[in-house]
Amino acid sequence: MNEYAPVEAQRVEIKGASKNYGTLAALANFDLTIEPGTFTVLLGPSGSGKSTLIRSIAGIERLDSGSIYFGDRKIADGDFHTAPEKRDLAMVFQDYALWPHMTAYENVGYALKRRNLAGDEAKRRIMEALDRVGLSGKGENYPFQLSGGEQQRVALARAIVGRPSLLLFDEPLSNLDADLRERLRVEIATLTREIGATACYITHDQSEAFALADKIGVLRSGKLQQLAAPEEIYRNPANRFVAAFTGISGSFSGQVVSVDGSRVVVALGEHHIQCHSTATLKAGDAAEVLIRPSATSFNNDGINTLPAIVQDVAYRGRGYEHVVSCEFGLISNVFSAQSVARDTHVHIQIDPSNSLAFPHN
Amino acid sequence: MALDSEPMSRSLVPFSAPKGGKRMPSLKIRLTPMTVFWTLIIFILVIPIVLFLSVAFSPRLLSQGHQWFTLSSFNPVFTGAYGTALLHSLILGIVAALGATSIALSMAWLVIRTNTPTRVIWNTTIFALFLAPSYLIALGWQRLFEQRGVLEIMGFNVTPIRNLLYGPVGICLVLMVKGLPFAYLVIANAMRGLGEEFEQAVRVHGGSRLEAFKVMASLLLPAIFSGLAIVFAEAISDFGVASTLSNVGHFSVATYQLYQGINAIPVNFPVSAATSLTLLALVILAILFQNRALRGRSFRTLSGRTRPATITKLSKFGKFTTSTYIILLLLITLGIPIFGAISASMLQGLGSLLSHYSINFSNYSRVLHSRFLRNPLIYSTEMSLITATLAVGLAAIASRVLTSNRNSRAKRFVDFFLLAAVALPGIVFAIGYIFTYNLKFINDIGLHIYGTSLLLALAYTANALPSTSRSLVGNMGQIQESMMDAARVHGSRGFRAWVDVTMPLIARPLLIAWLLTFSGTLLELPVSELLYPPGSPPVAVGIELSLAGFDFGGGTAIEVLSILWALVVVAIAFFLFNRFAPPGWKRIGNLR
Repeated sequence: MNEYAPVEAQRVEIKGASKNYGTLAALANFDLTIEPGTFTVLLGPSGSGKSTLIRSIAGIERLDSGSIYFGDRKIADGDFHTAPEKRDLAMVFQDYALWPHMTAYENVGYALKRRNLAGDEAKRRIMEALDRVGLSGKGENYPFQLSGGEQQRVALARAIVGRPSLLLFDEPLSNLDADLRERLRVEIATLTREIGATACYITHDQSEAFALADKIGVLRSGKLQQLAAPEEIYRNPANRFVAAFTGISGSFSGQVVSVDGSRVVVALGEHHIQCHSTATLKAGDAAEVLIRPSATSFNNDGINTLPAIVQDVAYRGRGYEHVVSCEFGLISNVFSAQSVARDTHVHIQIDPSNSLAFPHN
Repeated sequence: MALDSEPMSRSLVPFSAPKGGKRMPSLKIRLTPMTVFWTLIIFILVIPIVLFLSVAFSPRLLSQGHQWFTLSSFNPVFTGAYGTALLHSLILGIVAALGATSIALSMAWLVIRTNTPTRVIWNTTIFALFLAPSYLIALGWQRLFEQRGVLEIMGFNVTPIRNLLYGPVGICLVLMVKGLPFAYLVIANAMRGLGEEFEQAVRVHGGSRLEAFKVMASLLLPAIFSGLAIVFAEAISDFGVASTLSNVGHFSVATYQLYQGINAIPVNFPVSAATSLTLLALVILAILFQNRALRGRSFRTLSGRTRPATITKLSKFGKFTTSTYIILLLLITLGIPIFGAISASMLQGLGSLLSHYSINFSNYSRVLHSRFLRNPLIYSTEMSLITATLAVGLAAIASRVLTSNRNSRAKRFVDFFLLAAVALPGIVFAIGYIFTYNLKFINDIGLHIYGTSLLLALAYTANALPSTSRSLVGNMGQIQESMMDAARVHGSRGFRAWVDVTMPLIARPLLIAWLLTFSGTLLELPVSELLYPPGSPPVAVGIELSLAGFDFGGGTAIEVLSILWALVVVAIAFFLFNRFAPPGWKRIGNLR
C-alpha cells in the first residue's frame, strides 16, 4: 500500500450565508468555520440545510448572501462566485455520480485532468487510488458491472486521486447496506486523514457522525445549533434539539426540585431524578429529562432509579438491549449482559451525567 | 492561505487557482456557446415569429393595413371556410397524435425489449419512414390510386379506396404515418435509458408482464407526452398533405386555407397571422396539458447505477404475431407509398394521355444525366449537412436549458419560442422570413441575406430546431444532475464538463437527431419553395417542378433517389459511430 504525502489542508469559513428556495430558507445567516485538516461532520434532519451548505461550498449552488472563504481568500458571496472546477476540492456524492460511459479507471482518472497529469504518472496515481480502495483489478469495469459498494469506492478513489485540499462528502453511505456502510466508513476516515485534507461530511445518521468526526455541527432549519467535538456534543448539548438528535433512549416531563450548578434534581411523580443541565433552570420550573442510551442500567439499589416493566428484548451479540415502560413513558436501549424476560418488573438506574434536563416548552 | 499564491500540496503538480469573477454589470460580450445560442435563437426564431405574428394585431406595423391595433383579423378565423378548416385540423391532430403514439409505444417495446425477428427490419426502415415527407407519402398513394394511376393501369378497380383516401381517413392515415417515427424515436430513446430494475421490481412483487409494461409506460410518460405533443403539432401544421390529398379531395385543413390566403391577391397577411396564432394556441394548450400531467413528478431514471435491460424472449407464436404486426405496419406506412413511387418512376408514360405504357429505368437515367434534375439533390445535400449540424448543436443546448432543474426565465423563454415554432406551419414560417429579412431596419444593420443560401439554411435550422430539441429533451431529462456536478467539482469547466459527460451519454440520440434533421431537410417542401435562392432549387422544388410539368416519371425518380441517398447517409453515419465511437459511448442504451 502506498502512503500519500499530506496535502496542504484548507481552512473553510462561512459567514452569514443565506439561501432561499422561494419562500423556504435553506440557510439562514449561517456561520461555520472548519479548521484545516479536521474532519467535520454536519448532522441534521432532512430540510436542515446541510445539502445546500455542502453544495454551496462545492460551488454547485450560489449563495443569496453571505460569504465563503477558503483560507484568506473569498471564494463566494452574494455577488461573486468561483466556479466549482476552480475550487480545488473533490466530492463524493450520495448517488455516486459515476459516469456510466467511462470505466472505473477512466472515472478515477478524470479528476487528474485539473492537474494536467497524463502518461505514466497519471496511470500510477489512478492505479494507486484504485488499489487504495481495494479495486485494483476492476479498473476496466463499467459502473454497471460493479456492486453498490464498489461503485462508491470508485467515487472515493476519484475524490482522493487528485489529492485535493478539501474533501466533501454528501451522505455517501446512505445508499449502502449496514455492513458495507461500516467498512466504507472506516475507509473514508482512514483515507481522509491519511491524505491530510480538510473534510466536510454531511449525514443525518448520528452514529456515522460520532464515528467519523473531529467536530460535529448540528443543523436545524438552516441554522447551526452547535459546533463542537463529539464528546462535547454528547455530554453538553446546546439545546434540546441537539440532545434529541444525537441520540436518546427516552424523555420525561417533570418539575425542577433543586439546582446546584449543572446538577439538577427533577421530580417525576414521586421519584426524584438527578440530571445534568447546561440550560438555565430554577426550582419550580417545568423540565424535560432526556435520557442518553448510555445512562440506563438495571439496578435495584434505589438510587436515581425508576420502576419499570420489560416490554421487549433484543439480542445484540455482546449482550441484550431492552425496551422498558415506566409510569412516564418508554425507555429503549437498556443494555445488559444477561437477558431479562418480557413482563419482568425491574428498576432502571439513570446515570446523572448522561441524563439531560432542559426547560419544558 | 491564498489559493492563487500557494500550491495545494508540496507533492502535487501546482494548481493555478482562479481569481473568480465579480458579477459586475459589463458591456463586454464574450463569445461563448451560450452567446452564439441566444444570438441565433433571437435572429432565427424570435424576430421572424414575433414580427410576423404581430401583423395579426397591428397590420400597420408591417404596412399591411391602417390600424396600429385591431382584433378584426381574427373574425374570419373562426367562421366560414377558415373555421371549418381549423376544426378539421384539430380533430385530425388529436386522432393522429393518439394513433401514432400508441403504435410507437408498442413498436418501441417490441423492438427494444423483445427478440421479435423483424425488429431489425423496423430499425432499418424507421429512418426511411422519417425522411419521407408527408407530401411524398401522399404522392405515393396518389400515384397508385388516382384515376389512370398505376393500379388502374394494372386493371384494378380502386374507386372505393380512392374515395376514402381523398378525405379525412386518408389524410389522417398519412398524418399518423408521418408522426409515427417522431413518437417512436422519442419513446425508444427513453426506453433505452430505462434500466431493468423497475420492471423487475414489479415482477418480484407479483405483477404480471402487463403490469410491468404499465409501470414502464408510466416512467416513459415524459417521452410519451413529448411524442403526443410533437405528433399533434406536426399534424396540425403539416403542409405536405394539405397540398396533396386535402387539395385533391377538397377536404380543407388550416394550413391549406393559409396557403390559399397567401396566394390570394392581394395577400391577406393579417388573417394568415391570426390563423397561425390560433394554431399556436392549440399547440400551447396541448403542451400545457402535458406539463400539468407531469407536474411534481420525477422521471430521472438514468444514472451510473442503471443496469441495462434484458430482452424478453418470445415464444414461436409470439414471434409470429409480433412479426405479422410489424410487417403489416411496414406495408401500410412504407410499402404502399414506396410501391407507388417506384412503380410510377419506372412506368414510362404515366401522367400522359398515352394508352401504351412500358416499364424501364429511363427516368433514373434522365435524373442522373440531367443537371436540371440532378443539381437539386446536390444542393439539398449541402444545405442539409449545414442545417443538421447547426440545428443539433442548438438543440442540445436548448434541451439542456429545458431540462434544467431551475425554473428560470431562460427556460420558459426557450420553451415558449420552440413551441411557437413547432406550431407555426413551415409555409407561414417562410413568409415570416420573407417579411423580416426584407424589412428596412434589418437591411440597415447590414443583414442583406434575403435570396441567399444563408437565409435558407437559417430558415431550415429554425424549422428543424423545435422538433430536434424536443427529441433530445427526453434523453437529457434522464441524466442525473449529479453527474455534471461531479465533473465540475473534479475540475472541468461547464462546456468541457458537458462534452465529457453529457455528450457521451446522449451520443446516440444526438446522432439520431442529426440524421433526422439531415433527412428532414433534404426533402423539405414549404420553406424550400418560398426561400430558395434563384437558380438553386432544392430537391422538393425540383420534384414539384417536374410534377407540375406532368413529368411524373422524372419527379418520382428524383423522389426515390433522394430517399435512397438519405438512407445511404444514415448507413454511413451508423457505420462510423459503431466503428469509431468509444466503447462507453456505445454502451449507453445497449442491451446486455
